[in-house]
Amino acid sequence: MNSPKPNGNSNANPGPGSGLNRRNFLRGSAVIASGLAALAASLAPLRELEDFGSIDQFLQKYYKELTPEEMAKVLKRIEDEVEREYGLRPHVRDLKPMAGVEYVYALNLTRCIGCRKCVHACVAENNQSRTPEIQYIRVLRLPHGSLDLEKAEHNYSPESVPEKGYFYMPVQCQQCKNPPCVKVCPVHATWQETDGITVIDYNWCIGCRYCEAACPYWARRFNFAKPSIPKERLNPNMSYLGNRPRSRGVMEKCHFCIQRTRAGRYPACLEVCPVGARKFGNVLDPNSEVAYILHNKRVFIQLKEELGTSPRFFYYFDV
Amino acid sequence: MNDKSKTPAVLVALTLVFCAMAMAFGLRLWGKPRPLVVNPLVDPQFISTATIRTSYVQLIRLKADLSDFDCYACHEKDKPPTLRFDTNQNLVVPQEHSDVVMAHGRHGRNNNCFNCHNERNLLLLQTHDARELKLEDCPPLCGSCHGPTYRDWEAGAHGRTSGYWDRAAGEFKRAICVDCHNPHNPKIPSRKPAPAPIPLRPAPQLPVVAEH
Amino acid sequence: MIQPVRNYLTFLARCGRIAFVGDWRYYTWMGALSIICLLGLNAYARQFAHGLITTGMSDEVSWGVYIANFTFLVGVAAAAVMMVIPVYVYDNEELHDLVIFGELLAVAAILMCLAFVTVDLGRPDRFWHLIPGIGQFNFPASMLSWDVIVLNGYLLLNLHICGYLLYSRYMGRKPSKWFYIPFVFIAIFWAVSIHTVTAFLYVGLGGRPFWNSAIVGPRFLASAFTAGPALIILALQIIRRVADYHITDRALLTLRSIVQVSMLINVFLLANEVFKEFYSGNLHVASSKYLFIGLHGRHALVPWIWTAIAFNLTAMVLLVLPVSRSLRWLNVTCALAITGIWIEKGMGLVVPGFIPTPLGEMIEYSPSLNETLICFGIWSFGLLCYTIFLRMAVPILQGRLSGVIGSGFSPAHAKS
Repeated sequence: MNSPKPNGNSNANPGPGSGLNRRNFLRGSAVIASGLAALAASLAPLRELEDFGSIDQFLQKYYKELTPEEMAKVLKRIEDEVEREYGLRPHVRDLKPMAGVEYVYALNLTRCIGCRKCVHACVAENNQSRTPEIQYIRVLRLPHGSLDLEKAEHNYSPESVPEKGYFYMPVQCQQCKNPPCVKVCPVHATWQETDGITVIDYNWCIGCRYCEAACPYWARRFNFAKPSIPKERLNPNMSYLGNRPRSRGVMEKCHFCIQRTRAGRYPACLEVCPVGARKFGNVLDPNSEVAYILHNKRVFIQLKEELGTSPRFFYYFDV
Repeated sequence: MNDKSKTPAVLVALTLVFCAMAMAFGLRLWGKPRPLVVNPLVDPQFISTATIRTSYVQLIRLKADLSDFDCYACHEKDKPPTLRFDTNQNLVVPQEHSDVVMAHGRHGRNNNCFNCHNERNLLLLQTHDARELKLEDCPPLCGSCHGPTYRDWEAGAHGRTSGYWDRAAGEFKRAICVDCHNPHNPKIPSRKPAPAPIPLRPAPQLPVVAEH
Repeated sequence: MIQPVRNYLTFLARCGRIAFVGDWRYYTWMGALSIICLLGLNAYARQFAHGLITTGMSDEVSWGVYIANFTFLVGVAAAAVMMVIPVYVYDNEELHDLVIFGELLAVAAILMCLAFVTVDLGRPDRFWHLIPGIGQFNFPASMLSWDVIVLNGYLLLNLHICGYLLYSRYMGRKPSKWFYIPFVFIAIFWAVSIHTVTAFLYVGLGGRPFWNSAIVGPRFLASAFTAGPALIILALQIIRRVADYHITDRALLTLRSIVQVSMLINVFLLANEVFKEFYSGNLHVASSKYLFIGLHGRHALVPWIWTAIAFNLTAMVLLVLPVSRSLRWLNVTCALAITGIWIEKGMGLVVPGFIPTPLGEMIEYSPSLNETLICFGIWSFGLLCYTIFLRMAVPILQGRLSGVIGSGFSPAHAKS
């Protein structure tokens, strides 16, 4: 390619004499070509991308904008995906909140023995990742006389619980009336439903983790890797906003076992608690256990009450 | 200074470096993510919803062997058994009932079998006001001393409930006292806790210091 | 109609071409930056394929160097305005021709900010969820939504101002005041707003007492207006040397006085923070304790913050003394200030907010190799952009690249 000095900018550079002669042009082209090759090759790790999701998932509309027909299609697509992944066809429902219901959780600190069965029952019910480990509930061991969370021990492993001189406090999403996580989400991927549960649309979350920074109770979890659930322990009774398997890069958290509670059942953590420390129900029903507790017990702790989050989780003592 | 002769050398060097990088990237010479250590699955005992003990009521439901509860297999009808006490006023449990550990009340309170059992009819319990209760209907008896607890239990605030919080939607079950508490030794036994959480980026172990 | 469009396209083409032309030092610099960029891109491809598990972040410390760099660079972008104020508000003549280098730095910084936020997302493919109308934009409740608006707006503002001024100079026309002066004044307020909104991202979180303090916003601005002009001083020194562009010493000394005052305010605000945290002895001081003296046996950040404070104090002293009027010492001072503020705003602000967690757990953070490569890659990308901008802007400003016929080497189809 014979190109003696093309007109234009050949001298528009600082130094004298580094002219655009043929050899330099060829060398320059070689640099650009090899640079482009390196650029293309640098994207090689994308070949290891396995779980990107389908076009349908990419284009899926926001939960609140889906018509019932579209939601049915989405649920079927999710069932297909789970069947493909785990070899087991689940039943995925989109349960709506019941009218006249506001959930409240009460936890009896006199009774909790710190056995952590609630943690694992939740993991089993809600199809949480085992590696890396995601657990919605964290049981804290606190010394008698103090609610200073800095004194909390997360990793206690004694031979037997309860240990003398300590009490145990499980912490999970408090389903706040004034949730900071809902306020900060830039895409409305998390919101509070009419029955009080703060939910996440896993197909809408962009994974910015602002909600995780905002939560004062460290209740939200992020999927840093693709969640791994052992096939034999998959819970096939799923719901869209609840325990269907999540993908990597999205947030998740306790949702009061929405697939159970909106069908009228107790959450898994309550069912497994050996000492009956956990109480759950509709606070608007005057005959529920939780209404009884809130009316009759005298000492309540709402964690970090001063932050104005107004949690729906009440810790109480048995007098 | 602007040495013109350096430009070709630089361009050639860049070409070689880019080619080397292209090969290194393509062959994926570094950076394969290390596989995560697989966390052990939890022992199934930690997700079992069974009550702390298997009570008489549950045995009835399970249609299990109830021969242990057939008192008149050994005792004579209409002949109340006598209790024997040692010099410290402690009950001496007969060796036929050696599996019973009397620990219902400290300092020897509640040391008398017939505080709860009916000596005239061993298949029944009795309250202070001489009401007779079947073994499987024990809560009012327990509640006759443990009033606030009984009141809470009736409302569902004490003890274990299971099934449906929405009574209209399905069956709601409430465990009775003896499903969790051994009536002779009611304190809930300690147990081994489930394993501690495994963080994604574990903090290195610190040297052990005395707790403040 | 068609001729102005062709002129503009020619302008873009020539600017594009000139980016590939230079001497051996230029090629070495751009080559090195490209190499680092490619390493970063490769690292990001790995992160995209495997997820954020390739970083050092965790549920306990869920923001790391990406957001730390983002925070610092928003400050740098905001600080470009520090040159605009003396020039347009106080009619300072020396800085007049240099404002555009600051605004070009702002453009490069904003591009880096956008890149840092994108690599931090768990699902960057879902960015379209942010677009108002198509997605669900949580404005005005979410501070992140404000940040999206102000950062993109600032980018467009600066692209317009720089583009318009450079194109006018290229075409030999006097720029019309109405096309840029109002935007320049808007840019002053907008620059303050981008950094205030970024500060409010942190301040608004009641659950993180380390951040939930009114001083964070002023501190951000003070440190930004120190580090930004310091970066511009260093950039101008380099331009003077390699591009033979006329920059007076007085211009640099005016910038120095901006850095001086801002650093004094920055250190004063630091003293305020330290007093407030430690004097009353209440329990909310845990994160500050972790940062400055270590907590419960964990002290990974202590050397970092004390290095940053030492750098800042040294820079402050040097700035106050006349020794920093000597340009060599000025460079040292600027480098110290930039590094100190980078550490302080990055590791000294973002990470301690997460340690201890709201439930009192102490899990520390250190970036992984992949994360670090991506950070270097984005910084190189930003420097690459800025170098290209300067490579185009300097000849235009010197009149050596022009679309006017007869000005040396015009293309055949210049403005008629």
